[in-house]
Amino acid sequence: MSSAADSPLIEAHDLTKRFGDFTAVDSVDFSVRAGETFGFLGPNGAGKTSTMRMISAVSPVSGGTLRVLGRDPATHGPEIKARMGVVPQQDTLDFELTVYENILVYGNYFGLAKDVIAARANELLEFVQLSERRDSKVEPLSGGMKRRLTIARALVNEPELLLLDEPTTGLDPQARHVLWDRLYRLKQQGVTQVLTTHYMDEAEQLCDRLVVMDQAKIVAEGSPRQLIDRYVQREVVELRFAGTPSVDGQLEGLGERVEVLADRILIGTDDGDGTAHAVHERGVPVESVLVRRSTLEDVFLTLTGRTLVD
Amino acid sequence: MAAVAHVPSTTPLERTFAVTSWHARSYRRTWRATITTAFLNPIFFLLSVGVLLGQLIDDDRAQLGGLSYVEFVAPGLLAATAMQMGANDAMWPVMAGIKWLRTYHAVLATPVRVGELVIGTMGWSGVRVLSAAAIFTAVAAIGGAIPSALAVLAPFAALLTGLALNAPITAFSASLEGGDDGWYPALNRFALIPMFLFAGTFFPVSQLPDWLEPAAWATPLWHGVELCRMLTTGDLDVLALVHVGYLLAFVVVGTILAVRLHRRALLK
Repeated sequence: MSSAADSPLIEAHDLTKRFGDFTAVDSVDFSVRAGETFGFLGPNGAGKTSTMRMISAVSPVSGGTLRVLGRDPATHGPEIKARMGVVPQQDTLDFELTVYENILVYGNYFGLAKDVIAARANELLEFVQLSERRDSKVEPLSGGMKRRLTIARALVNEPELLLLDEPTTGLDPQARHVLWDRLYRLKQQGVTQVLTTHYMDEAEQLCDRLVVMDQAKIVAEGSPRQLIDRYVQREVVELRFAGTPSVDGQLEGLGERVEVLADRILIGTDDGDGTAHAVHERGVPVESVLVRRSTLEDVFLTLTGRTLVD
Repeated sequence: MAAVAHVPSTTPLERTFAVTSWHARSYRRTWRATITTAFLNPIFFLLSVGVLLGQLIDDDRAQLGGLSYVEFVAPGLLAATAMQMGANDAMWPVMAGIKWLRTYHAVLATPVRVGELVIGTMGWSGVRVLSAAAIFTAVAAIGGAIPSALAVLAPFAALLTGLALNAPITAFSASLEGGDDGWYPALNRFALIPMFLFAGTFFPVSQLPDWLEPAAWATPLWHGVELCRMLTTGDLDVLALVHVGYLLAFVVVGTILAVRLHRRALLK
C-alpha cells in the first residue's frame, strides 16, 4: 500500500530554466502531493510561468530533474499531457467555434469517443455555468466566461492534475469569486491543482500549500497560515498620511517591525489595538489608522522588501 | 495498484486527423469568405483569359503545341490556384495559431505532438486544394478546355503543387519570431505574383528571354503547371517524374523545416 498513492504527483530538484543568458528559474525544489492545491506566489517575472510550462511538458528543462505523474516530461510528454489539464495564462480558445465545439474539438485530441465527449461537455458546461451559452460563439463572452470555458475544456479528459496559470488575472471581483468557488469544488472532487498567482488573497483562499517565488528562486514554503506565523506578526497597523509619510523617529519601539512604503507605513505587531493606541498617544500626524490581520502580502514584503506590483 | 488510465491511448495518425478535423470544423464558419478565391476567381480567369482573350490568339496553334489557348491555359490556372491556396493557408492562419490567437498552444497542451499539429494543418490545406482543383477541373472539362481523360489525375498534381508551396511557407511563418506579418505582402509581390505571371501559366516559358528561362524552371509553380498540363492534354512523358520529384522535394524539405521551426517557436 505504498509507492503510487504516496509518491508526489510532481517532484522537482534543482529545477532550472535558462533563456540564453537569462535565468528564469534558478535551482528550485518543490513537490506536489495528490489531492492538494499548490500555489506559486510571486510578482510578474518571478519565474512562475516558466515553471508551469516545464510542468506542462511544453518547455524543456535547462537543468535539474523534474517528474510529473511519475514521468519525465522530456521523454513522456504526451503520456503526461493525457492525464493533465492546462489553463494557460492567456486564453487560447478558438473564436471560429461555438462554446460547445471548443470542448468537442479538444476532446478529439485525447482520442475520446464522440458520445463520451458530448456527455462530458454538457456536464462541464453545467459545472462552469455556461449551459445557456452552449451554442453561442466564444468571442462575445465576458472575460470570466472565457476563463470558465477554458477550465471546462481543460477538464474534458478528467485530469488527475489541473494546472492554472494566473486563473483570475484581469477578472472583476464577482467573476473571481465564481471561479474560486468552482476550483474549490474541483478540489473536493479530488483534483490536484497547481496554480500561479500574484494575488495574495487568491493564494490564501485556494492554496493548501504554496511557495513564494522571487527573482527565479523559491524564498519560502508552507501553508498560508504557517508562512504568516513564521515570517510576520499576527497583526498589522497601517498608517496613512495626508502627504508623504514622515515620522522622525516617533514610531521608535512600536511593534516588532516597521515598513515605510511610498504611500503608507506598516507596523507588524502582536497587539494591533495597543500599537494603534500608542500611535495616537505619541501624536503621530496620521490621516488614518487601520488595524488588520497579517496576510501573505506582508510575508512577501518581509521576505523581499518589496510589494507585489501588478 | 497502478493508477487508472481512463484516457484512451491514441495513434499519431488519429491525433493528426484530429488536428485536420479541427481545421475543417473552423472552416465551416469561414468558407463563404474564401469561396471566391478558391472557386470563382479561377473560373472567371478561365473565361476571360482562356476563352475570350484566347479567341484572339487561337490562329497560331503551333506555338502551343497544337492546343487551343483555353486548353493551354486551363492547367496553368489549375496549378496557379493550387499554389495560391497552399501559400495563403501557410501565412496568416499559421501566424494566428502560433502568435495571435495562440490556438496551437492549446493543441500542444494535449497529447498531440508538434509534428502531428504541423502535418494535420498541412493536411487540411491539402483537402482544400484537392477539392478546389477537382471542381475547377470538372468545370473546365465541361467547358471543353480539357482534351484528355488523364485529367482525372490533374487535381492530384495540383495538390502536390499546393503542398510544395504550403510546406516551405509554413516553415517561414514559424520562423518569424516577432510575428512580423509585413513579410507576407512582400512574399506575394516578389514571389507568388511573378510566378503566377511568368512561370508558364499564360504562355510557354520559351517565350521568355533565354537568360530568364532557367529562372522559370527553378520555380515550383512551373513544375506544377507542366505536370498539370501533361495530364489535362494527355501529352505525358518521362519528364513528369522530374516534376513530381522536384515538387516532392519542396514538400519533404519544407515539412521537415516546418516541424523544426514550429518546435522552436512553440516549445521554448
